Amino acid sequence: MKAHLNRFDFGLLLLYGLSFLLIWEWLRPVKELTETGNIGVFIVFVFIALLLSLLGVRAFAGFCIKSLYILYSVHSLYYQGSLLNFSWAGSFIKDLKANFGRIWNAQWIELDDVFRTLLFFTLLWIIAYLIQYWLITRKRIFVFFLMTLIFITVLDTFTPYDAYAAIIRTAIAGFLVMGMLTFYRLVEMENIKKSFIFTRKWMVPLAVMIALSSALGYAAPKAEPIWPDPVPFIKSFNSESGEGQAGIKRAGYGTDDSRLGGAFLGDDQVVFTTEIEEQHYWKVETKGIYTGKGWVADDERANTLDFSEGTVPPMLSFYDTVPSKKRTSTVHNVLDYSHIQYPHGVMNIETDDFYLYRLNQVTQKISSLKEFEDSAPDSYTVQYRSPSFQVKELQNSSAEEDENLSESILADYTQLPSNLPPTVKELALEVTEGKESWFDKAQAVEEYFRMNGFVYDQINAAMPGEDEDYVAQFLFETKRGYCDNFSTAMAVMLRTLDIPTRWVKGYTEGEYKETLKSGKMVYEVTNNNAHSWVEVYFPGVGWVPFEPTQGFSDNVTFEYEVESETSEDTEEEQQVAAEAPVKPEVETPVEAAGTTTSGSMASWFQNLKTLLSLNMKNVTISGVLLGGILAIIFLTRKKWLPFYYVTLFKMRQKEEHFPEAYRVLLMQLQRHGLKRGKDQTLREYAKYVDQFFSSRDMGQLTAQYEQFLYRGELKEGTWAEARPHWESLIKKAG
Amino acid sequence: MRSEMNPTIERILQNIEKVMTGKRNVAELSLVALLSGGHVLLEDVPGVGKTMMVRALAKSVSAEFRRIQFTPDLLPSDVTGVSIYNPREMEFQFRAGPIIGNIILADEINRTSPKTQSALLEGMEESSVTVDGVTHELESPFFVMATQNPIEYEGTYPLPEAQLDRFLLKMKMGYPDLDEEIEVLSRAQKVPPIDDLQPVVSLEELRKLKKEIKEVYVDDSIKRYIVDLASMTRVHSSVYLGVSPRGSISLMKASQALAFMSGRDFVIPDDVQYLAPFVFAHRIILKSEARFEGIEAEEVVNRVIARVPVPVQRLVK
Repeated sequence: MKAHLNRFDFGLLLLYGLSFLLIWEWLRPVKELTETGNIGVFIVFVFIALLLSLLGVRAFAGFCIKSLYILYSVHSLYYQGSLLNFSWAGSFIKDLKANFGRIWNAQWIELDDVFRTLLFFTLLWIIAYLIQYWLITRKRIFVFFLMTLIFITVLDTFTPYDAYAAIIRTAIAGFLVMGMLTFYRLVEMENIKKSFIFTRKWMVPLAVMIALSSALGYAAPKAEPIWPDPVPFIKSFNSESGEGQAGIKRAGYGTDDSRLGGAFLGDDQVVFTTEIEEQHYWKVETKGIYTGKGWVADDERANTLDFSEGTVPPMLSFYDTVPSKKRTSTVHNVLDYSHIQYPHGVMNIETDDFYLYRLNQVTQKISSLKEFEDSAPDSYTVQYRSPSFQVKELQNSSAEEDENLSESILADYTQLPSNLPPTVKELALEVTEGKESWFDKAQAVEEYFRMNGFVYDQINAAMPGEDEDYVAQFLFETKRGYCDNFSTAMAVMLRTLDIPTRWVKGYTEGEYKETLKSGKMVYEVTNNNAHSWVEVYFPGVGWVPFEPTQGFSDNVTFEYEVESETSEDTEEEQQVAAEAPVKPEVETPVEAAGTTTSGSMASWFQNLKTLLSLNMKNVTISGVLLGGILAIIFLTRKKWLPFYYVTLFKMRQKEEHFPEAYRVLLMQLQRHGLKRGKDQTLREYAKYVDQFFSSRDMGQLTAQYEQFLYRGELKEGTWAEARPHWESLIKKAG
Repeated sequence: MRSEMNPTIERILQNIEKVMTGKRNVAELSLVALLSGGHVLLEDVPGVGKTMMVRALAKSVSAEFRRIQFTPDLLPSDVTGVSIYNPREMEFQFRAGPIIGNIILADEINRTSPKTQSALLEGMEESSVTVDGVTHELESPFFVMATQNPIEYEGTYPLPEAQLDRFLLKMKMGYPDLDEEIEVLSRAQKVPPIDDLQPVVSLEELRKLKKEIKEVYVDDSIKRYIVDLASMTRVHSSVYLGVSPRGSISLMKASQALAFMSGRDFVIPDDVQYLAPFVFAHRIILKSEARFEGIEAEEVVNRVIARVPVPVQRLVK
């Protein structure tokens, strides 16, 4: 180990560098998948640990340096004041004590960040040591390499982590390390003096081979998997445990929408029940700023307006010019959210008690207050106007018409992130080609999601990677998702056309329960009914809801004037009208969730069946190929069996395995063409074999086997003594 | 097999080789018979060194050597001995015949009458002779090497099949090859070296060796192999009468001796295979058709060996 101190060993440096890369591959996903920030601190630690080992720093000095680094990192991450102040040491030690107590009580969840960081450092320390042990002492890294590959592929399959580049990096680094270690092992075993020429003779072909094969692997066409994706099937078995996983969400209303995407798990917790005259969506809030990953509210402008019961909420839904009917709905809260769910066009909120309401003017969120504290009324009644939007009006509406509002609304609701891929706009233009008015364009985009390969799927919804756009990923790559995908995509597409659009969150009407004597219908709204949709601003009309999500209908009425009707429009209207009463029941997310999870096994097999019947030719060819490969493997067994046996019997050290090994050898010799006549005694045969290989191994082996067979005794150490002869012979017979 | 001979045996064989040129296998087989308590039938022409071999063997093991030349007029009492009335002692005294010895060369055994033959054979089988109602135990070791001349059938009494069974081995000596014969001539010019031959082992040691041979391990798989060989001779198409269980026992005992001589304490199939033709051939009676076809018993035995698989795995009980 000390030898490398005298002379600079480039190979060793390279080995350490490559192992550092391999460990780094373990740390990369940690950043993406967990909430660990500052991953750099840990990478630097691994680097230091390996560097110390490379430089051959004494164990004690290394220990001190690493400990100091850990203390410094923990301090700078979690404590105030100077490191040398030592005032932080007290609280640090107190923390440690508390955490040890928690470990003792198995309260894993309550371990705090300081302690977790310390534990992680310790783990890395151990890994760095192990790597050094494997590299320098054992000169073997295969297990670690394999584990790294498995780790990365598993992450790639089951998490949003994209390991495309990681696999390539790992494969190259791993093979290089293995190739170099093999060289070092050979040099050591054969006692060759390491010379530059030797090293070059080995390293150049190694490098060329790895470069060629990785380039080939990279460039080669990769077939799509022909097997149905088993991941959702596996996940459905494990659905309960998914809660804590990164990237998987539970259905329900949440306030943070800054990172959308990922699988969505059903949750039938009832949020509220309603008594309604007419089906409608329940709004909670809207969001105006799209970040590329999700939606945020513009907090800087957040000013609130308070209003009391009996007054019209000071927000714009749509203008009075829009014909509407007055309706009333009653809400009975089950969960205590302090926000009010309200229908589009809300006019008044009433409770039995006295509540004050506070409207966030940016998000349109209405909070209920009692005695200046957030509080949810047990039940409340909302009066609202149920609009029938005049298509004629909408089609005539344009930016020029409403000068007061349009500018600020245009500015606020056509915001887009600067790094939005231009393909989104190109698609929007393509979809709306030939459409003049905003309304026609909006409808065209809404329609676009009905077909064109989009699939409603709560489970297999992707989460965009670091450099990906949520909408672009959905539109061009996955085409699979749930309401958030559809609504965000529509909103963003319309915004690329400079049509003011906002993203609305709330609930669907829920699940029908019964009809009361008063004629009102009772609905139950659960977390599964949480939903998102889109509102488009039309000057002179107001905000008009659109529903791009497949299988959902928002029951918004559009009235077409008879004169301006085209035959297409009529159909559309009829479709809307016809769909309205029937569809929502069938295709609520609850149902969707149910079919995807419980029915997934059956459907998986169904998929498999269809796949097989569709690809009968391929299956047959694969079958024949597989058979051929198996036949080749069988016919060439003479070549590979010896290696198998050598490995197999390496693990069989007991004496009683010797006769077995001998018989295996007999069989292998037979396969090699050295036939033993049935009347031929083992001795004669051994003589024959030894003559053939010009060796004496078989004679010695046979003498030992005879001892066992005809004397009935197996002396201690027979197998150990016979093993070299046996291995030499079975390899010769390969 | 010859590489790690038992050292005592090796010395005996080397001793014999001082007088005999070549023919090591004959000496070996003779020793096999001697050590396993059996007897040998040598079928050969005169003058190939049978007597010399037996005398050398006898001298090497310090055994008493006797030679009986069988003639048509030889009486059983000439073999076994007679009781003669001693007038001074007023009683019959037993005069021991030539059979009372350790190593006996029974030359041209087929020339004498069946009665005399059976007197010898009784002695061989029972290790005792009965003269005038008195049984005299023969001293161990008792080893008979009988010879018969295969060419002269005029005036001979061929040994009956039942009698042949009494011999452990039947073998041929054969002529020496060219070099050996030249060597024989060279030796003949000197003083016959047989007189200078020194014993290698005492009789006592020889008896001990015989005891050790009984301890040589015979695995069940080997026993099975021997029995398989024997029973195969019984069903062979050219065979009228196959090998008896006594033949199987003989083969096993001979194999034990050979294994011991080869420095082993267990029998291997090689021992059995090597000895089977010598032990079995004279115990088989071929069908007359086969005899007419010129098939010999040794050939049959070799065919049987070729057909019975050698045990290479432990016997599953």
